Amino acid sequence: MGDLIQLAVLVAIGYFVGSRIEKKHYRSIKEREKKLLCCPVVTGDDFLEDKPIRVTRLVSGSAVISTDYFKMIAGNLLNLIGGEVSVFESLLDRARREAVLRMKEEATKADIILNLRIETSTIAGRNSVEALAYGTAVYYEK
Amino acid sequence: MKYTPQEIENNVNVSPQSPLRTFSIALAKIAALLFIIYLVIGLLVDIIAPRISIETEKKIGALAGADLKGKKQTEQDLRLQAILDPLVQGDPALPGFNYKVYVQENDQVNALALPAGNIVVFSGLLKEVRSENEMAMILAHELGHFRHRDHLRGMGRQLILLLLVTFFSGGDTTSQRVIMPSITTMQMRFSQRQEKAADQFGLDLLNKTYGHVAGATDFFVKMSKKNDWPKFMYFFSTHPYPGSRIQALTERIQEQGYVAGKAEPLWGALIPSYAAGFSK
Ligand SMILES: [Zn+2]
Repeated sequence: MGDLIQLAVLVAIGYFVGSRIEKKHYRSIKEREKKLLCCPVVTGDDFLEDKPIRVTRLVSGSAVISTDYFKMIAGNLLNLIGGEVSVFESLLDRARREAVLRMKEEATKADIILNLRIETSTIAGRNSVEALAYGTAVYYEK
Repeated sequence: MKYTPQEIENNVNVSPQSPLRTFSIALAKIAALLFIIYLVIGLLVDIIAPRISIETEKKIGALAGADLKGKKQTEQDLRLQAILDPLVQGDPALPGFNYKVYVQENDQVNALALPAGNIVVFSGLLKEVRSENEMAMILAHELGHFRHRDHLRGMGRQLILLLLVTFFSGGDTTSQRVIMPSITTMQMRFSQRQEKAADQFGLDLLNKTYGHVAGATDFFVKMSKKNDWPKFMYFFSTHPYPGSRIQALTERIQEQGYVAGKAEPLWGALIPSYAAGFSK
């Protein structure tokens, strides 16, 4: 019984702390996305304008987001009954968007980022997810 | 090609359902599933338990009561054995085990029926008992569990319970560590219905052996005075409210017209600290 109480407390703490952090993170993501809207990022390579290119370079951004106890337990439960494991969606979404943002922040003043790719992997014993975004930043001759 | 940046407005990658809701739905589904499993297996155990042969139960008992096997009975154990033996002879329908009683140092006021005829009486209970008849009632009650094969049912249910807890905590070893000792010591927990049935059996056997029912309710009266739990708490506990047990026993005594009789004091040597109080 004591064990179940301990579990419930951990889940409750996980939920409250985790959702607070998540809300804060989403606020920051949305704010920065708005600010960096000016710098376009595309997945293709035929978006070049007819201008001389000064420099191109590889830019990347990576973010590691950890799960919390609530998500972990909820994920385990959902694993048992099958179906969508929706509790992890926001985790991956945050990791991907954060990675793209960091990449854009690395490539400030780039005119366009071409060939964006995003990769994810699990680290720290499946407790965290890493998203890596990379692409080619293009700077035109001014 | 021209690219126009656009802000993300609706995030299609994250489900709109609140994670708390997702969690509760998953929990409810699993709980319902486990409840059905528990009911079905519990039912199976009820069907199978009475059909398990005495031989098989002896084998199970050898596993469960391994630490009692070949254990020599102490002087105190033998005194209790002397109360137990006439009771066992009193009911030929009892499963043919070698019934043995042992006293164990433990402050709990409790006695256990382990598989294959072993009864453990905690010293905490022994301190409370004042008469031979009271002790006989307790032992006869434990014999009732053997007669009804309750511990086999109890074992089955406990095993399922262990499985469920393991399932719920996601195979968490800490919770298993909490549950496991109670399995290995085979501390049986019976349902309230089973306890009451054992009470009735114990009462009948007590009357058959002693010719009267003195001491039948003494222990429960003591417990009801001691225990100041509110009645509703007993809803969650495995042992029935002592008051309702006393009432059921009294009703049966009247119904069957059992004689009240006079209680015999317990041998002084059984409980040295009270030896002065009884002379025999
Ligand atoms: Zn009992």
